[in-house]
Amino acid sequence: MSAVIEAREVEFSFGRTPALRGASVAVEAGEILAIMGPSGSGKSTLLHCLAGILVPDAGEILFAGARIDTMAETERSSLRRDRFGFVFQFGQLVPELTAVENVALPLLLSGVRRAQALRRARAWFERLGLDGLQQRRSGELSGGQAQRVALARGLVAEPQVLFADEPTGALDSLTGEQVMDLLVDAAREQGTTVILVTHEPRIAAYADREVMVRDGRVNAPDRIAS
Amino acid sequence: MIAFAFRLAVAGGREALTRLVVIAAAVAVGTGLLLTTLAGVNAVNAQLTRYASVYPSASTGGDADPLWWSTRDDYFHGRQITRIDVAATGPNAPTPNGIPATPAAGEYYASPSLRTLLAAHPADQLRDRYPGRDLGVVGPAALTSPDTLLVIVGGTPDEVGKLPNAKQVTSVGDKPALPETTVNLILGVVAGGLLFPVLIFIGTATRLSAARREQRFAAMRLVGATPKQISVVAAVEATAAAVAGTAVGFLLFYAFRGPLAGIPFTGMPFFPSDMSLGVLDVLLVALGVPAGAAVAAQVSLRRVRISPLGVTRRVTPRAPRAYRLIPAVLGVAVLFFALGFRPETSDGQTAVFLPGLLLIMAGLVFAGPWLTMVGARVMARYASRPATLIAARRLADNPKAGFRAISGIMLALFVTSVAVGVITTIVANRGPAPVGSTDAGTVTTVFDEKASSVPDTLFAELHAISGVRSATAIRENPVLTGSSEVGVIACTDLPGAYGRCAEGATVAEVPLGLSLWQESASSTKFWHTASVTLDELQRLPVVSIVVGTDGSATAIERTRTVLEIAYPTFWVGPNVPGDFESDFANTLRGWEQLANVIIIASLALGGCSLAVSVIGGLTERRRPFSLLRLSGAPVRVLRRVVALESAVPMLAVAAIAIGMGLLAAHLFLRAQMDYTLVAPEPRFYVIIVVGLATCLGVIAATMPLLERVTGPETARSE
Repeated sequence: MSAVIEAREVEFSFGRTPALRGASVAVEAGEILAIMGPSGSGKSTLLHCLAGILVPDAGEILFAGARIDTMAETERSSLRRDRFGFVFQFGQLVPELTAVENVALPLLLSGVRRAQALRRARAWFERLGLDGLQQRRSGELSGGQAQRVALARGLVAEPQVLFADEPTGALDSLTGEQVMDLLVDAAREQGTTVILVTHEPRIAAYADREVMVRDGRVNAPDRIAS
Repeated sequence: MIAFAFRLAVAGGREALTRLVVIAAAVAVGTGLLLTTLAGVNAVNAQLTRYASVYPSASTGGDADPLWWSTRDDYFHGRQITRIDVAATGPNAPTPNGIPATPAAGEYYASPSLRTLLAAHPADQLRDRYPGRDLGVVGPAALTSPDTLLVIVGGTPDEVGKLPNAKQVTSVGDKPALPETTVNLILGVVAGGLLFPVLIFIGTATRLSAARREQRFAAMRLVGATPKQISVVAAVEATAAAVAGTAVGFLLFYAFRGPLAGIPFTGMPFFPSDMSLGVLDVLLVALGVPAGAAVAAQVSLRRVRISPLGVTRRVTPRAPRAYRLIPAVLGVAVLFFALGFRPETSDGQTAVFLPGLLLIMAGLVFAGPWLTMVGARVMARYASRPATLIAARRLADNPKAGFRAISGIMLALFVTSVAVGVITTIVANRGPAPVGSTDAGTVTTVFDEKASSVPDTLFAELHAISGVRSATAIRENPVLTGSSEVGVIACTDLPGAYGRCAEGATVAEVPLGLSLWQESASSTKFWHTASVTLDELQRLPVVSIVVGTDGSATAIERTRTVLEIAYPTFWVGPNVPGDFESDFANTLRGWEQLANVIIIASLALGGCSLAVSVIGGLTERRRPFSLLRLSGAPVRVLRRVVALESAVPMLAVAAIAIGMGLLAAHLFLRAQMDYTLVAPEPRFYVIIVVGLATCLGVIAATMPLLERVTGPETARSE
């Protein structure tokens, strides 16, 4: 199988501080990849480069065979909006919107009609065990519920790649595992590729494959999931 | 604690300094406006005091010899000339203010502005009205304004004693002749219209700074600072900024005092020295404003709880209820009630209208959050774009916060719309006659003492003036009924421009000026036939002379001069319809100018409040917004959210405030004057649009911040 998304010899610095020094990684379609590493190793920077959020100083980022590091910001934005999904550690829900409107947001941003966007969003509530929470605001949800809503938002537009940056970092271990179960199940069901940044081996164990980022470089795969 | 708080405020880095500067700037503007208002009140009082010295009441007693005094009105080029005739009855008679000695018969003093006119125009247009020796200048002590046209003419006691309105005075009055409360009330409304947006700005800026200091306050709470100590820190910061702002406000006031004095807010400019501040005023502002800012800081912090984990809202605000509409509806109802029931006295009318207007003003501010919520809910229900949905939900969630920043704009626009609506309508109905019309060229003198006849030489002299088309004497109508006119004229003497008689009539009933009150002269007007014969007419006393001219200033002023010399005992000088009206209209236009200043100032301040509020909103939502942006939401969507959250309520509020203001003005005009509201001139709308554009510009200035605070670094959770 060929890689759906790939980083080749990527370098990136924050001012004079190098974050990535020739990082390379390739992810196949439908694969769940865990990027691990200690704090400050560059794993989130690598995810941001892969997602087209940051433009590398050197090296290449390819998605479906096309370079995205050379695209204009507007093209990368529309790529992120239409082809990618995101789940972050916390604080990604727009506080004034209801849960269902938050889930529908990527669809609305893509121009889907409101009624249709809300209908598609509602379908995710039953699927993720969120029934009855549609009209709640983010402040009225528990951490686990908010993260499941965020997961629904990340997947509602049926993205090709879901980027998850420490998706359980703000949750207790039991809730974290519930969220990861849902994430993996939903991704496999949709055939979505998942790139998961975590520093917890327990969470990384949900992935098909793990890579370790140390000092801005990606080490060889340590393990392939069975 | 206070010293520590002060050190934090002034040495807290660039951000703390910026915050101080923003609050100080708001306070400086507010202080400047407050000082201008206080100085304006003092200046009006000074004007009134000097005005009173021009119209003294009769007085007796004391050792002083009486001074004969008569104050009359004359006009030149549409401007009012106050003419005072005086005659001392003995050596101890009081001397009028502003001159060194009472002029003797054949002498006069003139104000500087009148002297300029006397020098600039031919004698037969103005100078000949004051025959005799020019003794010098009337000083500021007798002038209500630097532009006042005043002449003090000496006469014999016999001559002056026979003039209209003549009285004997033993002291020159120094009590204001106009009720101060009216002026103070008007200035109070003006001050409210200006100061409310300033206070809102200070409050919003203080609340924003509380949110921005979240981390510092939270850290302080974590190490054991009590909520009270946090309040002290916030209050010290606000007070430090307010002290600096107050000082700058004083500087601004003194820097702009001269130009401000020149604006004819009361229809005429002030002397700069009149715009003075008393010790009490200075103390009130210098101590009151910093104290007020400290209180504002406390009040605004009451809404947020600084916990060791950061700033949190105390509670989710409860949705406003529909009962908030009651005061505004009640206010409109009061004005409608006044349409059917108009009290006869001025006090009674004030008692109806003032509460009505105040109820609407307060009611609009009170109803604002409910209207914002309803509007936002409707917007959210039908929103198909994500930006509209987010903006509408935010406004509907906390409509009080959304409305707070624009409440000042609403109040200011309501007050100014009422003022401009009323002024435009009155000026349109009572302003000077259109240039070129018969009215604009008609000079009328009404006799205080009826004359048995008018010498032919006078008619000859009038007809000799270039531009004079007709000169007619109006005699007294001996048969007065409720519907008849007070004058009669031979049909052969009635100039065609002023109407015609009925077929076969010889004498017609006419008004003293040959045109009806509030109507224009017309050649097609048919005047009723008088029940007087031509023979009887010749024996009736003359009550007025009407001279038709081509409307040129030269012809009018020469006619006026000839008539004044022929009949020097006039009370009000020979006048053109609109002399008095244009004077009145000029005063109103002065107020309109003030209204325009309020519109621009309040909208600019409202824009600043909105900008501060936008920054606060962005700070609160920087993480979800930046994560949305990372997920591919274009920045323009976020920009649209910010624009919709601030611009839509502002524009809606502006429309409501202007609509309600014009409605209130219409109801007032219908009930009080039977006028229908005349739409304000395009200038009004241009000023509103410029003000709103300024406001939007200030909001747009926050957009670069949006891009900065939603950058990728916010997404980092490590």
